[in-house]
Amino acid sequence: MKAKRPSPRWLWLGALAAIAVVLPLLVSSAFTIDIFIRVLLFSFIGIAWNLMGGYAKQLSLGHAAYFGLGAYTSTILLIRFGVSPWTGILAGGVVAALASLPIGALCFRLRGPYFAIATIATAHVLMLLFLKFRDFAWGAEGTTIPNLGNAPLMMQFDSKLAYYYIVLVLLAIGLAITYRIERSWMGYYLVAVGEDEDAAEAIGVNALRIKRNIYMISAFLTALAGTFYVQYIYFIDPNTAFSFNVSVEAALVSIVGGIGTLWGPVVGTVLLEASSALLQSWLGSSHGGVQLTIYSLILIAVILWRPSGLLGVLTDVYARIVQARPVKKEALLDG
Amino acid sequence: MAEALVVRNLSRRFGGLRAVQDLSFAVGDGETLALIGPNGAGKTTSFNLITGYHRPNAGSITAFGRELVGLRPHAICAHGLARTFQVARPFGNMTVLANVMTGAFLRDRTINGARKKAREAIDFVGLSAKEHVAARDLTTIDQRRLEMARALATEPRLLLLDEVMAGLNPAEIDQAVALIGKLSKRGLTIVIVEHVMRAIMAVARHIVVLDHGQKIAEGKPDEVVANEEVIRAYLGTGYVHGAVSGAARC
Repeated sequence: MKAKRPSPRWLWLGALAAIAVVLPLLVSSAFTIDIFIRVLLFSFIGIAWNLMGGYAKQLSLGHAAYFGLGAYTSTILLIRFGVSPWTGILAGGVVAALASLPIGALCFRLRGPYFAIATIATAHVLMLLFLKFRDFAWGAEGTTIPNLGNAPLMMQFDSKLAYYYIVLVLLAIGLAITYRIERSWMGYYLVAVGEDEDAAEAIGVNALRIKRNIYMISAFLTALAGTFYVQYIYFIDPNTAFSFNVSVEAALVSIVGGIGTLWGPVVGTVLLEASSALLQSWLGSSHGGVQLTIYSLILIAVILWRPSGLLGVLTDVYARIVQARPVKKEALLDG
Repeated sequence: MAEALVVRNLSRRFGGLRAVQDLSFAVGDGETLALIGPNGAGKTTSFNLITGYHRPNAGSITAFGRELVGLRPHAICAHGLARTFQVARPFGNMTVLANVMTGAFLRDRTINGARKKAREAIDFVGLSAKEHVAARDLTTIDQRRLEMARALATEPRLLLLDEVMAGLNPAEIDQAVALIGKLSKRGLTIVIVEHVMRAIMAVARHIVVLDHGQKIAEGKPDEVVANEEVIRAYLGTGYVHGAVSGAARC
């Protein structure tokens, strides 16, 4: 069951990375590159969510809080103080990580669905606060990011390609962090807390501390996505920055792809985002609503047939084609 | 003999129910003590108080010279007290090895170190053949073995076993008794909650009998089973140790 084939794995990874780097050069349509960017971005947000929601099974539906805090921090620093978003993106991460401490202190008192509801509330409260702070954060009408043309030092580019590579790097960082955590004591502790918090405490796991730490990491990463997103669309308002859709999408791509797995969020996003974008372009204009129906049907199908996520389907198929090795039903943590 | 665990005047109420009342007992270092008594006598509550899952309303608990009241369960485990649960609680989606490694990480944060320690503990409880089996696929006795291995991997000085023999057949009980004997020989202090009298008589040096949250008797096994009140409250009037094959109830 233990995969002792490091070299093929690295080959696969290298091939995948090469494809990811070359892919945008092969397409000329800005629309297609935009879809690629969204896929990478939501894969990254899914990865950030998955660290906490997947491995430690703390089902957050409020990650928009950190997406929004990242977006607002860098934007306020940029417009009010002229700070480059390259600095702002890190500042946003720090702000989000710090904000996760009081939010976590409140929400982690609750378990299961109550935790999820409390996290929804925190994102919503933040949205309301930013709606009210008219003087400081432009209130409900939001603001556009001043367009400086091609200004790499201010994270602004003429070409969408640059944005593509930035988010690709973010995704690589997210995957690397997840990989490191998954293969350390922390990964075991997270899964243990997700499985049974009391039993984990009995063998010396400080459940509150591990949840707090992973929540900080998750919030930090989500905030990076927030800054990237406003720099990409040149606009921010509370409804976009703290959108419930971001929270749901973060959870959904992980659940569809396979929670608590390294590649689950990526697989989930590729399917959901790509299909929704393609369906919208094919059917959106002529048959309004049809693309949402199909999108929903995909979701229902996955949840009915593969509640552990699509990654399991892919590894099964791979196992059947490549070699006759025992089929893993779902992610299983082994030594 | 130095005292590993000292419980003084421990009380805990749940609403109007006095689950544990003014309970005091001590366990010597390296000794094996059994807590017995009818269902609802407060045995598991005592365990939950000692291991930090419940807070006592009154009383103190000292282990190896340190007050435990107010500490969270993980800190109590780090202090050297490991427990098992009455109903085994393995991490179902992890393999046996990963479960036990999770325990071993308390003392060794490296993967290789934890794996080595985990394998020792798994070997000790006799689960080596099932190292890569998902914990949820284990039989009841194997889940208990796993839970014991996971607790042992935290390198405890004091082990609290909550009804590890419930539901086991006589041959399995013999195995479990042998295992506890092996642990005791290693110098581990053991507190065991159990209904299987045959097992208790075999492993315990000292017995504390609870009824309705209160201690009604304590002493050496022979004395306790001859005690009138213990027979009335728990063992039953027909109880003659050795004559009844095995257990007062099982």
